[in-house]
Amino acid sequence: MRLSFFGATTLAAMLSINSVSAFADTKEITIWSWNIAAASLKTTLEGFNKLNPDIKVIVEDLGNQQVYDKTLALCAAGGEDLPDIVQFENFEAEMFWNRFPDCFTNLKELGYTSEIQAKFPDFKRVELEVGDVAYAMPWDSGPVAVFYRRDFYEKAGVDPATIKTWDDFIAAGKKVATANPGVVMAQADFNGDSEWFRMISNEQACGFFSGDGQSITINEPGCVSALDKIKQMKDAGILTAGNWNEKLQSSAGGTVASQLYGAWYEGSIRSNIPALSGKWGVYLMPSITSDGVHAANIGGSALAISNGSKNKEAAWTYLNYALGSDEAQISMLKGFGLVPSLLSSVKQPFVEETQPYWGGQKVWSDILATLPKIVPSRGTAFQSDADGIYKAVQTKYFAGGYPDAKAALDDAAQQIAVATGLPIAQ
Amino acid sequence: MHLRYRAAYGFLAPYLLIFAVFWIWPIISSFIMSFQNTRVNPWVFNPGATWGRLFIDPAFYNALKNTMIILVIQVPVMITLATIMAVLLNSPLLKAKGLFRFAFFAPVVVGEVAYAAVFRLMFNLDFGIINKLLLSIGIPAVSWFSETPAAMSLLIIAVTWRWAGYNAIIILSGLQSIPEDVYEAATLDRVSKVKQFIHITLPLLKPIIVFCVVLSIIGSMQLFIEPMLITNRGGPGGGTETLGLFLYRQGFASSNFGYASSIAYTMAVLAILISLLNMWIGREAK
Repeated sequence: MRLSFFGATTLAAMLSINSVSAFADTKEITIWSWNIAAASLKTTLEGFNKLNPDIKVIVEDLGNQQVYDKTLALCAAGGEDLPDIVQFENFEAEMFWNRFPDCFTNLKELGYTSEIQAKFPDFKRVELEVGDVAYAMPWDSGPVAVFYRRDFYEKAGVDPATIKTWDDFIAAGKKVATANPGVVMAQADFNGDSEWFRMISNEQACGFFSGDGQSITINEPGCVSALDKIKQMKDAGILTAGNWNEKLQSSAGGTVASQLYGAWYEGSIRSNIPALSGKWGVYLMPSITSDGVHAANIGGSALAISNGSKNKEAAWTYLNYALGSDEAQISMLKGFGLVPSLLSSVKQPFVEETQPYWGGQKVWSDILATLPKIVPSRGTAFQSDADGIYKAVQTKYFAGGYPDAKAALDDAAQQIAVATGLPIAQ
Repeated sequence: MHLRYRAAYGFLAPYLLIFAVFWIWPIISSFIMSFQNTRVNPWVFNPGATWGRLFIDPAFYNALKNTMIILVIQVPVMITLATIMAVLLNSPLLKAKGLFRFAFFAPVVVGEVAYAAVFRLMFNLDFGIINKLLLSIGIPAVSWFSETPAAMSLLIIAVTWRWAGYNAIIILSGLQSIPEDVYEAATLDRVSKVKQFIHITLPLLKPIIVFCVVLSIIGSMQLFIEPMLITNRGGPGGGTETLGLFLYRQGFASSNFGYASSIAYTMAVLAILISLLNMWIGREAK
């Protein structure tokens, strides 16, 4: 570099001075993200840098829990040293705005106009905005589906189209296990998560808290039937324990026949287990009764800009491209199965295409058709408290600590009331 | 003030300043915080939300119970094992003593994150070597991470694996300080090896064993990394949540600093009580 600079002609010298000054203008922004979400952000960079060559985006994959923990600790310490952009899961996000209202920037001051806001569905925005302040921009949502091994089901003579209720699912699970020794029907993270309960209770229009976030609803009938059904599945032996990594290991190792998760799991299966291409398929989640909605949401994220960022404008430019353009949204859907919240993106032609990995199934049009049926569910600022209590109650219930699911969730509601000060809905 | 004192305090000032800012102030600040509801802006005085909650919170009693279970089961098991290991290591019949001593001590040297990851793999439900071994001798696979008693046993196994060798080395040094001629005299008097162990070795080792017990109790009270990493944040559903982890969850997952501070003070009081108990037992030993 140096040698060529000294040996160059005046013109070349001027050119290199130009490139130096261009380098000085280059802005660098850093994003904290996790797993396939981080991988999918990287797919947007090529398109973004064509439009904005002077903004360099660095995506750091810290893992889900690490992003939450580090962000919370840094916000508590005054917000220094945060990256420019942080990923939040919607249902965990409210706690941050509630406890640290100055940790993140009001995106409206950067150009997040009401026209842009209107491009996103309300259920994705409700947890991200407090009054007039918009702390984060919606990214993806997680319409729930069952991902299943076609070959395992076929061998057992199970047609997924006939699985309408969770009882059907249990019956099918027993057949699958008999026909495929060493294979279990499905896995749930009984060790550290509450995902099955959150998915099935959301399907039954129930959640930890009411829609306005002002009362506790975890002991209402929809939630009770969800917990009851999960225990039945566990007792029937068709649902065994596995955390995030173990689920992927079992899926790759061929010891599990199905996984229930948000649509973003599509990308995890496809990118982690390329060898099983063509062997997987997707069907809609069963319900308590066959005429149920067969739709729920789990996960789904948003991006926020920290108040300590030195390049807020550049960060906003990236946000508006990655989350607000069909081009970027479709590249993330294609790459890693992140379902766009951006309303216009779900009508793009790619959605109607058959997917070779999924045995030629049009998985996206199947999964996205459930979006309008999803009942919004509110995480609230007390999500972490409620989730911790629920998990303890679930473990105790499985071990026989309560006579029935209703008694278990009544106790959970009482404990959440003690921890949060919120009333139990009457 | 006398010039000498002034000069002395002048030299002490940098330390005192750091001590005041980083020790005294946090202790006072967290005490004040333990009476505040820190989940509203601005924080308000409301001991009912912190101290009041502590005494009716089942999750707190659960964490206390788990810590006590580990204390009561793991510490005696580990110290017994460590004593047996030390006696075996001290045996004149043993070859390659250096190698064995190193092997027993090695677990402490391994990084906590690495050993936690290896334990998670070994005890994996479908693919772990432990379940494969159990199956091969006809015992059904154990769901180590999702059943509370299994997870608690796993935690105790892991902590014991990590620290038994360390304690064995300390006890070994105690064994080596017991003069040989005591045993020689006993052997001449035809005292059996077992009786020698019970009536000579154990009484002479007592101060060392008490020291190991005290260290282990303090360690168990502060147990954090193993339930955090091996049983995934005290899982299943708080089944292995210790006091340290409970404090962390309240402070850094629910961002409830006031409540976390009241838990911290409760832990400090418990530690003082247990230390007093230890001192009382130690005094009796004289």
